[in-house]
Amino acid sequence: MSSLRPYLAAVRSTLTAALALENFASQVVERHNLPEVEAATSGEVLLNPLTISRNEKEQVLIEPSINSVRMSIRIKQQDDIERILCHKFTRFMMMRAENFVILRRKPVQGYDISFLITNFHSETMLKHKLVDFIIQFMEEVDKEISETRLSLNARARIVAESYLATFG
Amino acid sequence: MASSDFRKINIDQYDEDQLLEEELYEADPRDPATVLADAKSKAAGVRGLIAKGDLGTALNSVLENAPYGPKVDDAKILTLQTLLLILNSTKPAEIPTRVKALSSDCQDTLMKYLYKAMAMPGYADVNSSALLSWHEKLTEVAGIGCIVRVMTDRKTV
Amino acid sequence: MSAPDAYNIAQVPLTAHAFSPDRSALALSTNSNDAQIYAKDGYDWQPISTLKQHDKLVTSIDWAPTTDRIVTCSQDRNAYVWTKESNPESPSQTIWKPTLVVLKINRAATQVRWSPLENKFAVASGARSICICSFDEEMNWWASKQIKKPIRSTVLSIDWHPNNVLLAAGSADMKARVFSTFLKEVDKKPPPNVWGDKFPWSTVCGEYSSSSGGWVHTVGFSPSGDAMAFASHDSTITIVYPAAPAVITLKTTMLPYVTLIWTAEDALIAAGHDCQPMLYSGASTGWKPVGSLDDVNGPRSSNFSSASSPRTPGGGGGGNGPAVGRLNNAAFNRFKDADSRGTSSIPGTPSSPGGGLFGGASGVSGGELMTVHQNTITSVRPYEWSPNGTVTKVSTTGVDGKLVIWNVSAAVGLAPKLAGVHLR
Repeated sequence: MSSLRPYLAAVRSTLTAALALENFASQVVERHNLPEVEAATSGEVLLNPLTISRNEKEQVLIEPSINSVRMSIRIKQQDDIERILCHKFTRFMMMRAENFVILRRKPVQGYDISFLITNFHSETMLKHKLVDFIIQFMEEVDKEISETRLSLNARARIVAESYLATFG
Repeated sequence: MASSDFRKINIDQYDEDQLLEEELYEADPRDPATVLADAKSKAAGVRGLIAKGDLGTALNSVLENAPYGPKVDDAKILTLQTLLLILNSTKPAEIPTRVKALSSDCQDTLMKYLYKAMAMPGYADVNSSALLSWHEKLTEVAGIGCIVRVMTDRKTV
Repeated sequence: MSAPDAYNIAQVPLTAHAFSPDRSALALSTNSNDAQIYAKDGYDWQPISTLKQHDKLVTSIDWAPTTDRIVTCSQDRNAYVWTKESNPESPSQTIWKPTLVVLKINRAATQVRWSPLENKFAVASGARSICICSFDEEMNWWASKQIKKPIRSTVLSIDWHPNNVLLAAGSADMKARVFSTFLKEVDKKPPPNVWGDKFPWSTVCGEYSSSSGGWVHTVGFSPSGDAMAFASHDSTITIVYPAAPAVITLKTTMLPYVTLIWTAEDALIAAGHDCQPMLYSGASTGWKPVGSLDDVNGPRSSNFSSASSPRTPGGGGGGNGPAVGRLNNAAFNRFKDADSRGTSSIPGTPSSPGGGLFGGASGVSGGELMTVHQNTITSVRPYEWSPNGTVTKVSTTGVDGKLVIWNVSAAVGLAPKLAGVHLR
C-alpha cells in the first residue's frame, strides 16, 4: 500500500492545473451561464477527465471544463466498518452541502463524494486556498476513518473485557 | 395523455453547427495495422533494451510516435504494457535523470500514459505507487503545463 | 529597477479595463452589469461615473485613443458606444451618452476592440461569429455585419491588424484565424502584405491550430502586422510568421496564459492563470522567455498591506513541485467547525486570515501568493510608449481586483530564474 503523500501531491498538481477557469457564457442556451462540466452540451469546452489512484479502492476523478471542474473522491473502504463510516461521513456532509459551497449534493457514480468548483468560486476564493481545502479534506477523511475505526475496536475490546470480567 | 417522449430527445445532436469530437484534432495519418505492427516491433526492441539495462533508450523509443486517436486501441494497450515494464524496472533514484533526458513532447506523452495507467488500477502491471513517484518527478521537471496539456490534448493515448 | 505601481481597485474580479487617451481615467468592468469610469485622485483611483445599460456581465471595454469614445460589450448580447456630452443640467459636467449597437447575435459577446482608424470595431461572440460594426451616416446608427465561416465555437479574443482591414480571432474550437473585414463603404483597398494580395470581405487569410488542443484565449498582431501570436489553454504560445513561413510554438511549464500584447516587433508580454506577466522575445528564427515582470523574490512595492510579511525563499518560479501535507490550521479548524458544529465553511475567503499554506504555481507565503496579483490576470494592455514606438509600460487587471502598471524593462536580467522553461 502506497503512502498518502505522493497521492495527495498528484491530486494537488492535477487540481491546480484544472482550476484555470474563466467566465464562459453558454453557447447553447441563450443568456445562460452554466457549469459546462455539468451541462456537457458543448464537447469542445470540456477537457479530458483525469484519474489519480492510490490503489484500486482510493481514487480521485478530476473532470475539467472551461468554467468548472468536477472532482470526485473514492474513499478507502477496506471492510464493512469502514464502509459504514464512510457512508455516514459523506452523507452527513452532503446533507449540509449548502454550507460547503463547493460540495455536490450527489456524488458522481462510482465515487463517494463529489465537489463542483466553478469560475464563480475561484473568483471569490483564492485558487490555491481552494486546492488546500480539498487536500486538507482528503487528509482528514483518511485520518478520521482510521481513527474512528481504531477507537471502535478499542471500545469493543473494553466492552467485551468488562462483560467477561463479571463471569470471571 | 400526451406523450412526453419528445422531452428526452437531445435535439442538439441534430444541430449542424455542433462541433464533433473528431473535428477537434488531426487524426493519426498512419494506418491502424501499421500502428499496431510498429507497437509490436517496439515492444520487442524494448525487451531487448531492458535486458541490456538501457532503460533511457527504451523509454525514448516507446514514447516517440506513440499511437493516438481512435481505432488503435490494441496498439495503445500494447504500448502501455511496454511502458509499464520500463517504469517498473527503473530504480526510484534514477527517475529524475530519465525524465530530464526526454524531449518536451515525450514528457507530455509520458504524462498522458501515467494518467491512463492510473485510471486502470489493478490492471496487469499497474503499480500505483511507482506511477505516483514518476508523476511527482515528471511534474517537478515539466511543470504544471505538462498536466494542462494532458487535459487539453484530444490526441489521447 | 522600478517596482510596479499596484492599486487595489475592488474586492471583486476586474474582467476588463481600458485607459482614457491621456491616462487620467480608466474604464473598468468590476465583474458586474455596469462599466465604471475611475479617475485618479492623488494616488488612488476613485469611481466617477457608471455606464449603466447592460443587463448581464460586461465582458470587454475599449477606449478609442483619438476619438475618445468607449465601446462596451456584454453577455446580454449587446454592445454600446459611449460618447462624451456635456450635461444639459450643469454644462460644466460631462456625461457619457450610450448608443445601442444592433449586433444581431443571439449569444454572449466576449470581446470588443476599436480598429486602428477607429471607424470600425469588432465584437467577438459566443454565437460562433464576429461582428464588424461601422457607423452608417444615413441611418445614424452602428451597423453590424457578421463573419461566421469557418468558426465552429465561441470566439474568445480578437485583435486588429494595423491596416484596419485584417482581424485576428482566437476561438474555443482550438484555432486562431486571420480574417479580412474589408467593407467597401468604409475601407480603402489595402496594399498586399504578408497575409495575402487581395482581401475581399471575410476571406480567411490564415488558420492555425494550437499545438496540444487548447482553446485560443488571446491573439495579437505584432506592431508591423507581419507576425501574429496566440496563447492557448494548453500552456503554449505560438508565433506565426507567414512570410518566412514559420510557426514557432513555445511549450511552457506554467498554467495557461489568457492575455498577451506585443511590446515591440521582437517582444511580447503574456499573462494569465499564473498571476504574473511574462516577457518573451524573439524573431522568425526562434523565441525565448526573457523573464517575469513580477520579481517574486525581490522586495514587494510598499503600497501593499502585506509588504512586511516575510517570504519563504525557494518557492518562486513557475511550476515548482508542489508540496503537500503541511497542516494549515485555519483551514483545519474551519473544517472541524463545520464537521462538529455545522458552521458554514467557506474555504479561503480573501478576508479570512491565511494559514501556513504551501504549494501552488508561484510559491505561497503566509497564505498569499508571492506574485503581486493574487489571482488570474484577465487582461494586459499597453500603457506607455517610448518615442520609437516600443511599449515601455503595461497595465494589467486581475480576478483579485487589482490594477498594476509594470515597467517592461523590469523583466530584463531575470533570465536565470527561468532555467526550467522548456523550449521547442
